[in-house]
Amino acid sequence: MSLLEIQNLRARYGRVEVLHGVDLNVEEGSIVALLGANGAGKSTLLRAICRAVDTSGSCRFDGVDLSGRSTAAIAHLGIGHVPEGRGTFADFTVEENLRLGAVSRTRARSRRETDADLELVYETFPVLREFRRRQAGALSGGQAQMLAVARALLGRPRLLLVDEPSLGLAPLTARDLFDRFTGLRDEWALTVLLAEQNAKLSLTIADRAVLLSRGRVVHDGPSGDLATVDAVHADYLGASEFDLSHADARTKETR
Amino acid sequence: MTEFLQIVLDGLMTGVVYAALALALGVVFQGTGMLNLSQGELAVVAAYIAWACTQAGIPIWPAIAIAIVASAVLGAVIYHGVVRFVPPHREDSLMTLGVTLLLGLNAIVSMVWGTDPRAFPSPFGTWVANFGGLRLTSQQLGGVALVGATMLVMAVVFTRTTFGLRLRAVAQNPRSAAYLGLRSGLWLSAGWAAACAVGAVAGIVAAPTAGLSPAMMTVPLLMALAAANIGGISSRVGVVVGGLLIGLLTAIGGRYIPGLGGDLNVVFAFAAVIAVILVKPAGLFGRESVVRA
Repeated sequence: MSLLEIQNLRARYGRVEVLHGVDLNVEEGSIVALLGANGAGKSTLLRAICRAVDTSGSCRFDGVDLSGRSTAAIAHLGIGHVPEGRGTFADFTVEENLRLGAVSRTRARSRRETDADLELVYETFPVLREFRRRQAGALSGGQAQMLAVARALLGRPRLLLVDEPSLGLAPLTARDLFDRFTGLRDEWALTVLLAEQNAKLSLTIADRAVLLSRGRVVHDGPSGDLATVDAVHADYLGASEFDLSHADARTKETR
Repeated sequence: MTEFLQIVLDGLMTGVVYAALALALGVVFQGTGMLNLSQGELAVVAAYIAWACTQAGIPIWPAIAIAIVASAVLGAVIYHGVVRFVPPHREDSLMTLGVTLLLGLNAIVSMVWGTDPRAFPSPFGTWVANFGGLRLTSQQLGGVALVGATMLVMAVVFTRTTFGLRLRAVAQNPRSAAYLGLRSGLWLSAGWAAACAVGAVAGIVAAPTAGLSPAMMTVPLLMALAAANIGGISSRVGVVVGGLLIGLLTAIGGRYIPGLGGDLNVVFAFAAVIAVILVKPAGLFGRESVVRA
């Protein structure tokens, strides 16, 4: 059974429908890249899963129907969301931000367990330990993105939704961040749904790629297959701006 | 010189009421983006509840405790029943809502208890302390102690507890807080409850000297607005300092500027606001969020 099962999901802002009946399954333990151009509906799909926008259709997490639940209640089920723009609390220290991440732990855990997870996060992102007393608003873009991901990890989610993590980051910083996702998936027993415009970067770590165009899924398959889909090139990628060599290599490894 | 010191002292004592009310305004503003113009009337309701309890034979301190708790509940109910339906970016609607609540609460208080001023018993006794020619009433000293203790409790709750951290998180970014599992409606209700409890203290401290009436907190509310602007509504320390400054300035202005006594002092308070915001728009202690580009 898939960890996340979405059927005919629609989402709207006011009267404007942005998602027009999306179907998507996410297997437990996988990293799924959600690709698409600006306005394709990637961020909206993540928000719709969290019921942060007006939504209709079926969305089940580990067999539990998410309809009628609040965004906060969905977090408590074990869905972490790193929103576009990071959503950190600028006036709070790094450590305060991280401790807030522990609010949604699905089971009541002791402070000792939270502290142990905090230590684990600091080992993964040493820069956060260095700046733990610093205001989050004073961090660089890369550090703030690490904080946003780390904060979500403190909630011990089973499914992590990450929205445009490379946005505004220097290429090397983005590369460094993406390289960590595979390790995080294994160490924290995560399933990751990654909405990202940078297809090249995403496909180096993704098991599967889902391409959205104008609020609809136009391709869903192993990440290496993306190169062979004509519609993908025509609608989004463009042959010259996209190098699938990394994705091909990864797909061969996982098959 | 003694007269001047007495005026300074009296001004600071009055300022604690403005400070408490300004603190309540700040808590609500940071949480919901609403400048709660009904905060003064909520304080009046609290004072009337305490008074009604004493009339029913309940001793003054339990009556005050009941009034504070009732105010907190009323604040949570008002947030949950009305305010939460107005988005924070609709400043116009929130302003109108504040005026509506002010007028509505004023009307309810007038209908239930009448408009005639009533004597409110001082919970601190009626003795007077004299030292060095200066005079301090037990009401003034007790008022400062009660408001000071309330502010200390609020400071500890907001900065040293998980409750305060979560409340501030929801106030700063409700959407992000929701993604973390914080139910914003619940926490903002708690914020309103806390603000109304603080406002209740202001009303109860003001009532024995001002005389209990539906319009008792009209001028203090204006002074609290001025205090919040001078100190910076985003700063808990700022609103308290602002309240004390307003108390001080209006006491001195009322004494030494001919024709500026009584309620006309409010002009002096807002002139001070203009002077401060021209130099520091966020207030003396207010700060803009630090966000690195």
